[in-house]
Amino acid sequence: MNAKSPTPGSQSSLRESNRARIIDAIKQFGGLTQVELAGATGLSAATVSNIVKELTAVGVLNTTQSIRSGRRAQHVTLARTPGLVGAVQFGLRHMRVAIADTSGTLLSDHRLPLGADHRADAGLDRAALLIADMLETVDAGTAELLGVALALPAPVDMTTGVISSPGIMRGWDHVPVTRVMGERINKPVAVANASNMGALGELKHGAAMGARHVLYIQAGQRIGAGLILNSQLFWGASGSAGEFGHMTVNPDGAICRCGNRGCLETEAGASVLLESLRGSHGVLTLGDMLRFADEGDLGCARVISDAGRKIGMAAANLCNVLNPERVVLGGDLAQAGDILLNPVREAIERFSLPSVAEDLTVTQGMLGTEAELLGVVQFALERFVEDGSILMGSGSASALSPFPTPDSTDLEDQ
Amino acid sequence: MNNAVTGPEPQIAPRERKPLISMRGVSKYFHAVHAVSNVDFEVYPGEVVAIVGDNGSGKSTLVKLLAGVFTPDSGTIEFEGEPVSISSPSVAQDLGIATVFQDLALSDNLSIVANLFLGREYNTRGFLADHQMEDEAVALFRKLKARMPSIRTRVSALSGGQKQSVAIARTMLGNPKVILLDEPTSALSITQSAEVLNLIESLRERGLGVVVISHNLAEVQAIADRIAVLRLGRNIGTFHAPDISYERLVALITGATDA
Repeated sequence: MNAKSPTPGSQSSLRESNRARIIDAIKQFGGLTQVELAGATGLSAATVSNIVKELTAVGVLNTTQSIRSGRRAQHVTLARTPGLVGAVQFGLRHMRVAIADTSGTLLSDHRLPLGADHRADAGLDRAALLIADMLETVDAGTAELLGVALALPAPVDMTTGVISSPGIMRGWDHVPVTRVMGERINKPVAVANASNMGALGELKHGAAMGARHVLYIQAGQRIGAGLILNSQLFWGASGSAGEFGHMTVNPDGAICRCGNRGCLETEAGASVLLESLRGSHGVLTLGDMLRFADEGDLGCARVISDAGRKIGMAAANLCNVLNPERVVLGGDLAQAGDILLNPVREAIERFSLPSVAEDLTVTQGMLGTEAELLGVVQFALERFVEDGSILMGSGSASALSPFPTPDSTDLEDQ
Repeated sequence: MNNAVTGPEPQIAPRERKPLISMRGVSKYFHAVHAVSNVDFEVYPGEVVAIVGDNGSGKSTLVKLLAGVFTPDSGTIEFEGEPVSISSPSVAQDLGIATVFQDLALSDNLSIVANLFLGREYNTRGFLADHQMEDEAVALFRKLKARMPSIRTRVSALSGGQKQSVAIARTMLGNPKVILLDEPTSALSITQSAEVLNLIESLRERGLGVVVISHNLAEVQAIADRIAVLRLGRNIGTFHAPDISYERLVALITGATDA
């Protein structure tokens, strides 16, 4: 992104957009040959070749000779800083695996659906296989991998990676994730709670950016929260801070997976919402419910707004304690937008102290479902990249802009 | 424009869910062998139904009955509420039932576009309308969120997962309502299976009924809404995927317990 943006429709703006197309395509596939790039972007081979040459010169792309179908070919990948980190985010029904370089640029990511109550052994096996596969596509050896961070949608003990509250993820109980994953990939492993990772993602790249005190609420199948106090993620004594979904909201409510009664999750978790629609709407998925609510289905919208009210009431209590300046809603359910957010706003206004509610803004997360994965990448960088200056120090220009500041020697060449 | 790709977006209202395909008491015998006997089976729009079972349990026969390869010896098949006789694969295709068999039936020496439109090429005054076909292919892959290097690549240069994606995409050109997939992820690497599984999810999102035969129970549990268990040609139960555990599924397949 140049300081002065070119006039729309001009030759230079066309060039700019062609560059963006090429970079997007490479990001999507991890690495491509020039011929494949031409096909994927719809640009002519000559244009691709010119742009690749230009971007290689300024250090955005990297080319290596390879052979495809018996012919010589230029394999193009994103130029990256030495050293890579792996990020694995487990959800209840899927996992995301990403590889990023030390500047935080995602080089490749994959999503894999998982069964309900999936197992730790199978899940970790697949994560390790995916990481190995992905390292290959970005032309990197395992030696370059500095470490892997994992996020689980449950409270975890951060040193062992054992889920600290059995029953919440049945297939993962008593599994020392840190050690098991470490044995599979032979690299340092860090484990954290997914809601905290969502908060970290929004803090670094999204709706919590620039705020000092933020309550991040993740509403989906599970309900969790991440606390940002003094611009720092608050972990708590063992990493279980922010188990918002297990606040008791109805002492006579249903038994929760955690063993308590009437947790917020048993009242407003997505699976409970879907269950309550089973009689009237049949079996729906979370995506169906959100789509129907968006299209104006009253039943679906009602169920979501009721959940919003309950989440808002619980959040109001938390706001009284913490006095945050921002409440950010993330997770799948937050995609319902104002259908969920308005009742949350109303409930916080009604049930928290006026002084607390006064300057409080309630917003939707900016990163959507990407928040957690980006948070895990950030967490991995903080854990495994020793020189913190790579992250936020002097070299930050290259970390943020897709076009790193070119080396002076390269400039003189042109 | 041709409506193959840009056809109307399927919309299913939740309450008016009628099965797309409904099989009632269907049997198929090969002389003395009861390949499929007295099976009930349904597919609704916007759902993934997995068929699991041991070798010889009748999974493939069941799918071939739907694909028009075999005709049932007894029982009825209804498509969108109308009784039909699926007497040949082309009848199945006309109804809107598309099948991707294990061997994929792609031509390795042709490009992706050529494979997609093989036998139904667009032409303008006798010349192939390459641009139109390419545009449509690109739009199709984008819609399916499938990752494809270049649509002009020869199929022989593709990975197993990409070949599977091409085969699935090809069936989409006929605007089918039901897609039958026979072992879509066997012999694929983990990244490739991930892509095929995501593709199956996006077929589901587009409102299609998807029938998947698979041996991989972890994958079945990951993508299926319902799981039909066959044993020795009988459907011994159809379950909502979240309600059934891995152990119980294995027990049902092997015959350790009855439904």
